[in-house]
Amino acid sequence: MELPKILIVDDDPELRRGLNLRLRANHYDTAYATDGVSAMAMAQKEKPDLIILDIGLPAGDGYVVLDRLQENASLSCIPVIVLTARDPQYNRERILKAGATAFFQKPADNFELLGAIRSVLNPRWPGTGMPQPS
Amino acid sequence: MMDRNTTGHVLLIEDNPGDADLIRLRLVEASSDLEVSCVNRLSSGIESLAQKTPSVVLLDLNLPDSHGADTYRSLLKKAPTVPIVVLSGLEDELLATKAVHQGVQDYLVKGKFDSKQLARAIHYAIERQALLISLDMSRKQQLQFKDEFLSHVSHELRTPLTSIHQFVTILLDGLAGNIPAEQREHLGTVLGSTNQLLAMIDDLLEATRAESGKLRVELRCISIGDTVIQAVTMLRAAANEKQIRLEMTVDNGLPLVSADPERVLQILLNLIDNSLKFTPAGGSVAVNACLSPQDPTYVCISVTDTGRGVSPESKHLIFERLYQDPNSSSNSRKGLGLGLYIVQELVRLHGGRIWVESQPGHGSVFSFTLPLFSLSKLLAPIVNSQGKWPDPLVLITIEGTPRLQPGLPRRANLRLQCMDILRSCVSPDKDIVLPALTGEDGSEIFMVVATADERATDILLKRITGQFQRSAELQSRIEIRVSAHHLRPPQPNSDVPALAQLEQQLAEVINRVSIPVRGQQPSSPNSEFDLILSKLADAPVRNSN
Repeated sequence: MELPKILIVDDDPELRRGLNLRLRANHYDTAYATDGVSAMAMAQKEKPDLIILDIGLPAGDGYVVLDRLQENASLSCIPVIVLTARDPQYNRERILKAGATAFFQKPADNFELLGAIRSVLNPRWPGTGMPQPS
Repeated sequence: MMDRNTTGHVLLIEDNPGDADLIRLRLVEASSDLEVSCVNRLSSGIESLAQKTPSVVLLDLNLPDSHGADTYRSLLKKAPTVPIVVLSGLEDELLATKAVHQGVQDYLVKGKFDSKQLARAIHYAIERQALLISLDMSRKQQLQFKDEFLSHVSHELRTPLTSIHQFVTILLDGLAGNIPAEQREHLGTVLGSTNQLLAMIDDLLEATRAESGKLRVELRCISIGDTVIQAVTMLRAAANEKQIRLEMTVDNGLPLVSADPERVLQILLNLIDNSLKFTPAGGSVAVNACLSPQDPTYVCISVTDTGRGVSPESKHLIFERLYQDPNSSSNSRKGLGLGLYIVQELVRLHGGRIWVESQPGHGSVFSFTLPLFSLSKLLAPIVNSQGKWPDPLVLITIEGTPRLQPGLPRRANLRLQCMDILRSCVSPDKDIVLPALTGEDGSEIFMVVATADERATDILLKRITGQFQRSAELQSRIEIRVSAHHLRPPQPNSDVPALAQLEQQLAEVINRVSIPVRGQQPSSPNSEFDLILSKLADAPVRNSN
């Protein structure tokens, strides 16, 4: 069975490396993008099941990426979890309004982040971490 | 001096024509190019202010529509930036001092000043007021700068901390291979310190926000017992590790409180953690919640410890920013000294108060109060003094069934988002948004008491539904059902006051809405709804005054 694919968009190589390790250990396939432009290209190419998006990015920040994803008919249905070090007080509402499914401030609690990923990917089978039976 | 400084517009509020003429004469003597307008009532003065802002107001205190200190207070409320010089017939040093303390720029006694003195008083009043305004502005700018600066710094600090957190947890979880027990212990220490640093950054931000009035509290109708249990459960392990007994007692049948559950949890965690910090091994920390003995419209929550206690001289300082107990061991001083300050501000925002009692050497008791949830308090503004509500009322309920696993941290965001959408749809001065409730089945229920006729109700329903549907993201997270229930106008000759009639009707509708949701028996008082209903049923009939 094919593993769910998660696109990690972050300009920090350490974060990408760490998150990649964590996600693969939890049986997810991963892909990367390091800026706003390549995020869109990778989303088109990989058609991920979920995008984990940073906000402070070169070449079009996370807000721009969120807008472009929403405008694109074939990408607007991909759920986005925003993972950023930015202040929730000034960003949470704006991020959720821009179409993100969830907001986590870095560093996110691993248990909570994985729980959110599971429930976004398998809304009808929450918390099991198992792929949805077809 | 006079020619240069007294040019401008003077608004004279004076009802005695003789006095008014005399003051006008003095003003003309003082400066030729002074524009003077004179009105004889406070209300006309306030109207005139709204049309054109004068350089200064000369104010008589005894007017046909206002007397004494109330006169300048009303004016200060309407125009806080315009300098006011009181002209009084009364030489009352006490009143004069009080007036100046409350924001008036000068107090002159009629017949005791010549034109030169009047001109000087006006001139300095204007200068002082300008200085005050600029001081206030620079204070606000400084707070704003501090807030932005800290927000930026916290972002920059978080990035390397995230990296540490990420890789330490990767090691601890064995994702990079097995690790020996001793190394695991050391890594645990690293993780603990990382979390402490993160908590300090959050405290810094929160404290700055408290200062600039930006802390947000989203009041709901909650059971305090649940929050106490949650807090105690979260700190149980820490207490066991320090060999401290952690106990709790929550009085049976405690009414619901009006509070932000996340904030109350934050308050409790902070207080309990603080007590654990200063209590030696073998000691105990007890959390108690009961109806406040001083004022039964509040719940009182206290955290009692058997620690070192607080010295009498520290009692007043303990809630100050950056306060650290000078006698504490370095081990106990693991924060910035902002925790209790933030707690105090949060309690204040809820409308409660916080204090500490202590016998040094025997421990301390930190107590705070939270107001009980009261439908009648919320609804009171709708009912006018004649015991009527002037317009037809409708209760709009929005039932939301989350499509997600309950208990995720996102749940709080979801509620906030729904409340924000709801608030954007209704009129803030006419409609009352009730605190959101969580049903037994985990559904979220939002309610608005809106002023509307049939047609406007339709429009409002469409607007709310539309706003919820517009957010594709909300659509994916919550399924909503919007409905309206018309409320009957109060029965004029009833023994039951209008407010109580309104409450009863709301309770009936809420009852109808909430029970069919999951077919639960109304007798099981688990949901917040049923609890409200039972409280309503118990509540004595209130007077509508």
